[in-house]
Amino acid sequence: MSPWLVGFSLFFGYPLVMSAYLSFNHYDLLSAPRWVGLANYRYLFTVDPQVWTAVKNTLWLIAVMVPLQVVFAYGIAMLLARAKSGVGLLRTIFYLPALAPPVAATLGFVFILNPATGPVNTILGHLGIQGPLWFQDPAWSKPSLTLLGLWGVGNTMVIFLAAVLDVPRHLYESAELDGAGPLQRLRWVTLPTTSPVILFAVILGVIQGLQYFTQAYVAAGVASGQASQAGDVTAGTLGYPLDSTLVYPVLLFQHGFTDFQMGYASAMAILLLAVSFAVISIILINSRKWVHYGGAAR
Amino acid sequence: MSRTRAVLALLVLCALGVAAVGATAATAKKSAPTKLTVWVGWSARELSVFKKVAAEYDKAHPNVTVDVVGSINDDKIVAAIRAGNAPDVASSFNSYDVGIYCGTGGWIDLSSKLKSAGIPLGTFPAATNYYTQFGGKKCALPLLADDYGLYYNKDLFKAAGISGPPKTIAQLTTYAKKLTKFNSDGSIKVLGFDPFIGFYENTPERWVTAWGANWLDSSNHSILGKQPGWSNWMKWLKSYVNWVGYNKLVKFQAGLGDEFSASNAFEVGKLAMNYDGEWRVAFIQAEHPKLNYGTAPMPVANPKLYGSGYINGTIIGIPKNGKHEAEAWDLVKYLTTNTHALAELSNGLRNVPSTSASLTSKELTPDAHFATFLKIFGNKYSSTSPITAAGVSYTNAVQNFATKWQAGKVSNLGSGLAKLDSQLDAMVKQAGGGGVP
Amino acid sequence: MTVAATTAPLVRRRVPAAVRRRRFLLAVANHSVLIGFAIAFLAPFVFILLTALMTNNQALSPDLWPHPFRWRNFVDVWTKAPLWRWMLNTLEYSVLGTLGLVVSSVPVAYALARLHWRGRQAMFMVVLVALMLPPQVTVVPLYVMWAKFHPFGFNFIGTLWPVILPNWFGDAFSIFLLRQFFLTIPEEYLDAARVDGCGELRILGTVVVRLAKPAIVAVALFSFLYTFNDFFLPLLYTGEAPHHWVLSIGLSQFRSLHQVQWNLTMAATLLVMVPVVVIFFLAQRAFVEGVTLTGVKG
Repeated sequence: MSPWLVGFSLFFGYPLVMSAYLSFNHYDLLSAPRWVGLANYRYLFTVDPQVWTAVKNTLWLIAVMVPLQVVFAYGIAMLLARAKSGVGLLRTIFYLPALAPPVAATLGFVFILNPATGPVNTILGHLGIQGPLWFQDPAWSKPSLTLLGLWGVGNTMVIFLAAVLDVPRHLYESAELDGAGPLQRLRWVTLPTTSPVILFAVILGVIQGLQYFTQAYVAAGVASGQASQAGDVTAGTLGYPLDSTLVYPVLLFQHGFTDFQMGYASAMAILLLAVSFAVISIILINSRKWVHYGGAAR
Repeated sequence: MSRTRAVLALLVLCALGVAAVGATAATAKKSAPTKLTVWVGWSARELSVFKKVAAEYDKAHPNVTVDVVGSINDDKIVAAIRAGNAPDVASSFNSYDVGIYCGTGGWIDLSSKLKSAGIPLGTFPAATNYYTQFGGKKCALPLLADDYGLYYNKDLFKAAGISGPPKTIAQLTTYAKKLTKFNSDGSIKVLGFDPFIGFYENTPERWVTAWGANWLDSSNHSILGKQPGWSNWMKWLKSYVNWVGYNKLVKFQAGLGDEFSASNAFEVGKLAMNYDGEWRVAFIQAEHPKLNYGTAPMPVANPKLYGSGYINGTIIGIPKNGKHEAEAWDLVKYLTTNTHALAELSNGLRNVPSTSASLTSKELTPDAHFATFLKIFGNKYSSTSPITAAGVSYTNAVQNFATKWQAGKVSNLGSGLAKLDSQLDAMVKQAGGGGVP
Repeated sequence: MTVAATTAPLVRRRVPAAVRRRRFLLAVANHSVLIGFAIAFLAPFVFILLTALMTNNQALSPDLWPHPFRWRNFVDVWTKAPLWRWMLNTLEYSVLGTLGLVVSSVPVAYALARLHWRGRQAMFMVVLVALMLPPQVTVVPLYVMWAKFHPFGFNFIGTLWPVILPNWFGDAFSIFLLRQFFLTIPEEYLDAARVDGCGELRILGTVVVRLAKPAIVAVALFSFLYTFNDFFLPLLYTGEAPHHWVLSIGLSQFRSLHQVQWNLTMAATLLVMVPVVVIFFLAQRAFVEGVTLTGVKG
């Protein structure tokens, strides 16, 4: 226990306190921190033109992408649960993309959705449809990331499938005897019985949404095609196109680790901390209305 | 499960092996000459040019071995300095972050070293002196300079019946429209010219020189909204983008090859004219020697500015806390002031040599395409962008605004620029010490 | 287990022909939708593979089918970029990280689940909080800590140690998961061992570990996947040290750094996906069981 406590204080407790402390300082890692009071927070809330864009982008992902992922995974799980043959193979196919490393998956999607040379728009073109600009269009870049998210939904799907198959058979039968149709059975039997698992998936999704970084960072860098000769994703391409993929962690990364304004980045971290707690608390409080723990001990 | 266990065991062995190899490699090297690590931005063909010059120095100086690492950019240099991992000598492709290097003391001040070595500032052209200092500190020296001009495809010009390069913005627009060819489905086949901000070398700071616009007033406040040059450039940009069609242009660009690959759109004839740096001459020579092209100064809005352009350049300096400061300075001094070294680098990279003496060196191999850029460099109206404490974020913020504007996301240009001015001022203040002005 | 649960009702009733036909059509519809989605899920892999086999020029055109097939791309990738180096670095991170995580998380989880000590509940709450917080919240002070800590002149920044070492002090998610599983182990087994005179450590090392094997394997698999795919933390600490890049970083910079076209990039993308997929097929059952475990126990 005690080595863990040491590590825990070192890698979690201490940084948490330091974050709060640094957020009141100007610190560039080269000279000692200098106390500046609330200056970082004032800049954060009143000047920085990108903070609200970043907050909105992150909230968009949590409000649109996460629910879609949950609904989609649940739908596939329902279909799989009713399927009579080939379940093993289909389950593997749906699970496989979840394993693809996010960087690789993102690269693949940026290419596949390339408006000029990518296969998706080529096929749409043959069908007489003018495809969108996907990762190149600020209106489509987040939906493109959502598609990528739906593709990698395998984990949630497997969890849901197990939960749906676990619903006691007799519940369906008694519902059927009461004359419930398929939709009513879903509404009154399947959903309530699996609601704890749904809550789990929602919370996990929100947590991942709050720290969503890799896909946005890579997609912006690759889609912009504007790499320096030295080949990096440079600060100038973060959020491409037009800041539409500039999620909060990406902006924090930029201020903290390309501008090295450690004090300011800490202030951003504290805001993220507050928002994370708020969002998760809201979901947990709200969940009391719809989650049923059928007496099972947790 | 036994198979899983076998796989795991194998993986553990591999990982331990890696760690062990890493450890021995780190301890094994211990011998007499001082190892100087030099970080530069060049990669591939260009890197080998630089390595050749470094090897010459190496040979002449038995007390040091020079270890060159390529493909470095500002993000990496800045990160390394903060983390205490900086090399003995660092070089960046551009001067945007000089404000950070000098301002934070991340690169040491070279003034006293220059003085004791008897090197007057006049050794270097005036523009390069501006972008290698900040806040009274001379923390970098120019190592070759870059300037920008127009590349045009002579075959495509001939086919369109155009005799020579455009000299004014109006001509540029007319020619570009004439040279543009569309496919039957409406998509672009060949584009006359692409000024889209964010595409290849197009950035605001390189463009506004053609309108003669300035950045700062005498008290270093941003004045983008107060001069017609900025808004005139942006209006022209928007009208051209609208003529091509924003979405069409974005789609066209998404299908083009990488700028620094042999599939560069100008080199393969998909762009009839292109705004680019002087180094492209060497790239074309290496990748498409048969391309029939010409170079010229950028067209301008005000005729008296014709012949001028945007100047910037590779800089080199010594990060602080280095263990071999004296040896590092010897190398920096050699690279930045030795006429032979500069001429050789210039011949190989086709970059502008960055001392007054080397600009006229007999060792420079003449090249008509490249001569254009030497002239632009010497033009008295050629200019560079401001050096501020915010570093590259400063110009990035302007670029961010320009990309929004060209996409039609800025409703009022005048008030947008005014707001940008106050944001830029606030940004500099925040970077320099925190707080709102 | 799946097929049996869905298809065998306890009582077979006589089903009218019309209902049977309806059920049959529903099953067909169900399967068609599933197969449609399955094709959509596989399509990205196919497109990536096809592009990986194209020539430079073809990859810059809207062509869908390689002509000719350029298998050499898969050879060229290795000479264009130090893939081996990246692969070895990735393994260093994944294997050492996973090892430490399992060794350190199991005892902590056991203590939280089974031992009675003061502050246990409070500690568990702390784990829950750590679980929900985005890593971005603590990342700035942690970076500062590693940047300022130079034992014997060794600089941690620019190496993978700052991302490996914290794993040796436990990981909130794994502790949580293991604790939930340990709670389900009947107390009688442990008491029996205690009666035999085993110390708590012996019990943990023998009885608990044996009983909780599925959970421990699951935790190890997740950790391996997570570290193998991780991008944010390695980027932070090794971004400027190419010798220590892991696969995900190398891949993200592959296209511009080596001035290659999409064909080679896609070949590299596929190669990065291969190890995870191989491990999945070797340990498919453990995977699915593990994922299910997270949902049910969560």
